[in-house]
Amino acid sequence: MSAPELALAAAVLPLLLVAILGLALFVRRPLSEPATGILVAACFLGALAGFVAAAVRMAGIPRREVPLGEWFGIAGHHFEFRLLLDRLSLAFAAYAALLCGLVGVFAHRYLHREPGYARFFFLLALFAVGILMIVLAGDMELIFAGWEIVGLSSALLVAFFHDRPLPVQNGLRVFVVYRVCDIGLLAAYILVHHELGTGRLTGLFAAPITAGTLVSFLVLLAVAGKSAQIPFSGWLPRAMEGPTPSSAIFYGALSVQAGAFVLLRLSPLFERAPAARAAIVALGLVTAAHAALVGRVQTDAKCALSYASMTQVGLILAEIGLGWNTLALVHLLGHGSVRSLQFLRSPSLLLERHHAENRVGGLPAPREPFRFLPAGARRWLYRFALERAYLDAALERFVVAPFLGAIRRLDGLERAWSARWGGRR
Amino acid sequence: MSESSLDDPDPSSRLRSAVAAAGRLLPAQGPISIFIHHNTLHAFEGLPFEEAVVRGGELLGCEPYLAEDRYRAELARGRIRPADLAAVLREDLGPAAGELVAGRLTRLELRLAMLGQPVRAISGSELEWILGETAVRKHPHLWQAALRAAAEGPPPPAPRLVRHRDFLVAAGRGDPDALVHPLLIRLCAAFLDQGLAIWPMPDREEGLYRAFQRLYGRGGGPPEPWARGLAAELRRAAEETAEESALASLARLGVPRDEWEPFLTATLLALRGWAGMIRQAELRPDRMPAQAPPASLVDFVAVRLLLDRLAAAHLDGSPPETLRARRAPPPPPPVSARERAFLLFQVARSLGWSPAEVSPIGGEIEAFPEVDRRRVFQLAYERRHRIAILDALAAHVSFPAPAPRFQAVFCLDEREESLRRHLEEVDPAGETYGTAGFFGVAMYYRGASDARAVPLCPVAIRPRHEVEEEVVAERRATARRRARWRAAWGRFAHGFELGSRTFTLGAILSWLLGLYAAARLASRVLCPRLAARVRHHTERLVGTPEETALALEHRPDVRPALGEQAGFTVEEMAAIVRRLLEETGLVSRLSDLVLVVGHGSTSLNNPHESAHDCGACGGGRGGPNARALAQMANDPRVRRLLGIPDRTWFVGAYHNSCDDSIATFDLHRVPAHARPLLAAAGAAMEEAAARNAHERFRRFEFAPAASLEQAVAHVEARSQDLAQPRPEYGHATNAVCIVGRRARTRGLFLDRRAFLVSYDPDRDPDGAILARILGAVIPVCAGINLEYYFSYVDPSGYGCHTKLPHNITSLLGVMDGHASDLRTGLPWQMVEIHEPVRLLVVVEAPLERVRAVLAAERLVRNRWIQLAALDPAANVIQVFDPRSGEFAPHRPESAALPRVSSSRRWYEGRTGHLSCAVVGGGVEG
Repeated sequence: MSAPELALAAAVLPLLLVAILGLALFVRRPLSEPATGILVAACFLGALAGFVAAAVRMAGIPRREVPLGEWFGIAGHHFEFRLLLDRLSLAFAAYAALLCGLVGVFAHRYLHREPGYARFFFLLALFAVGILMIVLAGDMELIFAGWEIVGLSSALLVAFFHDRPLPVQNGLRVFVVYRVCDIGLLAAYILVHHELGTGRLTGLFAAPITAGTLVSFLVLLAVAGKSAQIPFSGWLPRAMEGPTPSSAIFYGALSVQAGAFVLLRLSPLFERAPAARAAIVALGLVTAAHAALVGRVQTDAKCALSYASMTQVGLILAEIGLGWNTLALVHLLGHGSVRSLQFLRSPSLLLERHHAENRVGGLPAPREPFRFLPAGARRWLYRFALERAYLDAALERFVVAPFLGAIRRLDGLERAWSARWGGRR
Repeated sequence: MSESSLDDPDPSSRLRSAVAAAGRLLPAQGPISIFIHHNTLHAFEGLPFEEAVVRGGELLGCEPYLAEDRYRAELARGRIRPADLAAVLREDLGPAAGELVAGRLTRLELRLAMLGQPVRAISGSELEWILGETAVRKHPHLWQAALRAAAEGPPPPAPRLVRHRDFLVAAGRGDPDALVHPLLIRLCAAFLDQGLAIWPMPDREEGLYRAFQRLYGRGGGPPEPWARGLAAELRRAAEETAEESALASLARLGVPRDEWEPFLTATLLALRGWAGMIRQAELRPDRMPAQAPPASLVDFVAVRLLLDRLAAAHLDGSPPETLRARRAPPPPPPVSARERAFLLFQVARSLGWSPAEVSPIGGEIEAFPEVDRRRVFQLAYERRHRIAILDALAAHVSFPAPAPRFQAVFCLDEREESLRRHLEEVDPAGETYGTAGFFGVAMYYRGASDARAVPLCPVAIRPRHEVEEEVVAERRATARRRARWRAAWGRFAHGFELGSRTFTLGAILSWLLGLYAAARLASRVLCPRLAARVRHHTERLVGTPEETALALEHRPDVRPALGEQAGFTVEEMAAIVRRLLEETGLVSRLSDLVLVVGHGSTSLNNPHESAHDCGACGGGRGGPNARALAQMANDPRVRRLLGIPDRTWFVGAYHNSCDDSIATFDLHRVPAHARPLLAAAGAAMEEAAARNAHERFRRFEFAPAASLEQAVAHVEARSQDLAQPRPEYGHATNAVCIVGRRARTRGLFLDRRAFLVSYDPDRDPDGAILARILGAVIPVCAGINLEYYFSYVDPSGYGCHTKLPHNITSLLGVMDGHASDLRTGLPWQMVEIHEPVRLLVVVEAPLERVRAVLAAERLVRNRWIQLAALDPAANVIQVFDPRSGEFAPHRPESAALPRVSSSRRWYEGRTGHLSCAVVGGGVEG
């Protein structure tokens, strides 16, 4: 088989998995646990093998496009789907398949006898489809579709325990943040399409477009949402409501780093937009600094890890902004592995502390940092960190509340006007 | 301001006592790393069980029993029999059972009918939907008849509204707790943190209230509208103590003095996990794992009331003082005739009445409400189990007991029942005993590679003695070298954990160790057992040498880090050994070899790991206790004092109940004459442990039918698997406690459900030994049993529900997800196979002795446990009835027990609970 065939076959496997699991759920005959486990493992093992084989076949070829077909076309505008295979996409795809497979095997034992077992694996497979669409996409259509699937499956997994109110509330919040930021990607896509008549990435890379800087900033908005950058970072700790394995893969490795991947993918676009690159660096560094500060005061295992993720993703973004793409890719893959393992092991924290204490012979008590600051400033800073930099509260007060207020006023106006013109009922 | 608090001579002492009284209702669970099982409703033990579960359930918002449907399913599969229901109802109703209620129907028949078919009290739109859409439409005449017979009833009791929050929620103004709790959770977690955060909370050494005041009293605080006045409020009251602040808040909330206690109770229970942990830190600072901040429940109340006050004012839009009067909801309407007719209709359906037969018995139906029906079901459920166990004990004939070749003393833990049974099956010349698994050795113990000493004894005892494990002299240089390596490694690993969370170090570690982490992730997920073996071999390179000894001997010149005395004097050792030999009845039957087997459990990714350890060691591991006891009993001076035969040798051992491995201690000291015997006994133990693993295996779903070797490999992998939320099932299914000679239970298959305590009734004429044994054993076993009862009956209210979203917080407990109350109780994965029955304690002793020792015991009197006496001389059992205070003879329903040749024959291929059977004893089958 040729490289495109291999990659395509590998990418179709998770889609098949979604179809099988989804159909079984739809007719209310979920597969048995052992059957699901075998299917999931086989699917991701197959996908991993396919991507690796495709990468081997691609040796020496920098880039290949694989057209999948045209949705529809009108004069000057073509809505097509194609894959783009190169080192970046195949490496990340193989990595995603590996992690999804490992987490699948882990969750098969971890979620044993859980009422939502079948739903979890359906959502995991859906997520894998979304992430592979983003990764392998050769045009913006596919990126956007994958982006939406990833967002939806993330939100549904945050709300996995839907018999309690908090997971549902937080799942909804994650979903809303995603959707608001998705406007950026959608608008960017429309602008590109408007100018080039196609969303083809190679086309975008080849010729500068007039709205390049604007498009870059719009993409950055989407990335900031998905990768939990300032000011949207408040959703990341709230996403820790789901089962541990989904937290590991989503917020340790793949979902939260999908934004960084898209920046890498679109880096030719950003090379021509220095202002956007400067913005990426600034955003990444500020987020990293903020997350490192807030992470220091977190008192629970998963929130501490989520801020640790945020710190590193911020740094990765900054590296991309500076143009150090290879370093950023290594950082991204390494960080994803380290963090996923930490998330999966987070319920072992007590045991690990105990071991560490015995090995060292007593651990030193934690000490207050920033002791060069006056005590009052330190307390202010501590409260600032404990309140997660007031980001959520500020968003709620200065964005959400005025927005809702405006909507309500408009609603009131509409009622008043329609009553006047249509006559009272 | 309410007048009453001004008149009071000492409002602050009133406040303190109200807070203390309310605090007693909070969960009593301490730090999760030392998990101690206790009765979840301990505070209600002064009430009869059936009353306590209802009262406690109302207060805590939890279920008293299983749902009716669950019991009905048990009825359908024969676990509850109709005869059980009839017997319970007859006892419940007394003479009233036979009275006619509808002309031709006795009250007993009516109630049985109501138990057989669901009778649901439904109102509002749900009722209208059912009337319009379902069964009723098929039987219009019956419905009309029921409607004619029913009349309007008195209104149901109004919902109890106490806190301002209750009134606001009832009025649809929003939930102030949703505003207050996130902040309060963050504060409590930061205040109590045992070292999870890199940056500890400033000023926490001055208490929660002061720290809060200093942090939030400065400007530029949180921009949430509801908390806008917080800084000003705190600054205004800068000089106030927590008590003064709480009193001021109570006045501003308009709570009169006589309502303080219920009000504060409801206030504390709203976030009871955290409030409970604050209280635990206040009462038992010695049990905090790392540092104990000066916690105080009054501080918590002060902070909470202040926040509650601001949030209520924000949502209500006016000062909260009169809120409760202004927002009082209207009283509930009377129960409509339609609602009552629907009850009647359902009963008429289940009785098969024709429309003409329907008579107005609405009051009779309502006199047997849902909670009573569930109680009757529960009693019947327990009755069936009790009869099965007592029948088996009455039918079981003691095997002839030859003089034992070796003996083994185990913990009384019900998980050791199967190991003991298998040991006796493997080697019928072996004899086993059960006793509290700290073996009377109460000590602070520090292992050779431990950083600090831990108490190893029941939680009620504070040990006086400290014992250290020391590396033997010739290996000390190696030990020191390895300790240095180990410390370097530990510092690196810990530094990695913390460093990976920081800015620069986190980046460097990601660049350098990403590939390594990926490989580790893959190996630990895909082949946990192999990965664990590799890890253990590596660790052993820098581990403490295995040649160690316990420094048991009293050392007057050494001041211990914990406790009062380093080591035990000879007299103390002799007293401990004597007590063990007396209590178990070993004293007259000592063979040449006595194994003393402690137990514990290791598993990964399991915050509740300690709950699987030995309860008698206070949630610790009993290996060192077993080793210490053996060493004491082998001491020539102790032997002289007690007259232990020269040929008898004691060997300490440790059973890991998760991977079913056995470790033995101090083998080099075993004298030559005992070595062949030890080799034989050791081999029997290994075989028994493997069979034990195989028996446990049947409970794990999707574990394939397997050979012994596969079962051993499986349980080992389970204990080392990051992805395994059920490394073992712990105490689940426990139901019985049998105190008596092993001969009475030997060869009886008890399905790992019985605590087995050895006691020789012939050597205890005055009952002093029995009183001593039961005084220690009953609270521990009842605590375990009741904790499982409550966590099973209401997994999300009393238990901590599923483990899957659990999140370790402050190194003290777990939350659900990112910011919830601290979850106490047991997770569903631990209890899912449990049967919620109250512990049935069977004591083999003369009736009068049992009565003298136990009948007045509060747990017995209030029916938190069931009690029966087994006659030492005959197969006659008497069951205690706490209502009458009398024993009544048990009349067996079946006289024959199934007999099989081995345990395996009995359990193989079956996954559910198994009834008793006679196994082994030379039976073919």
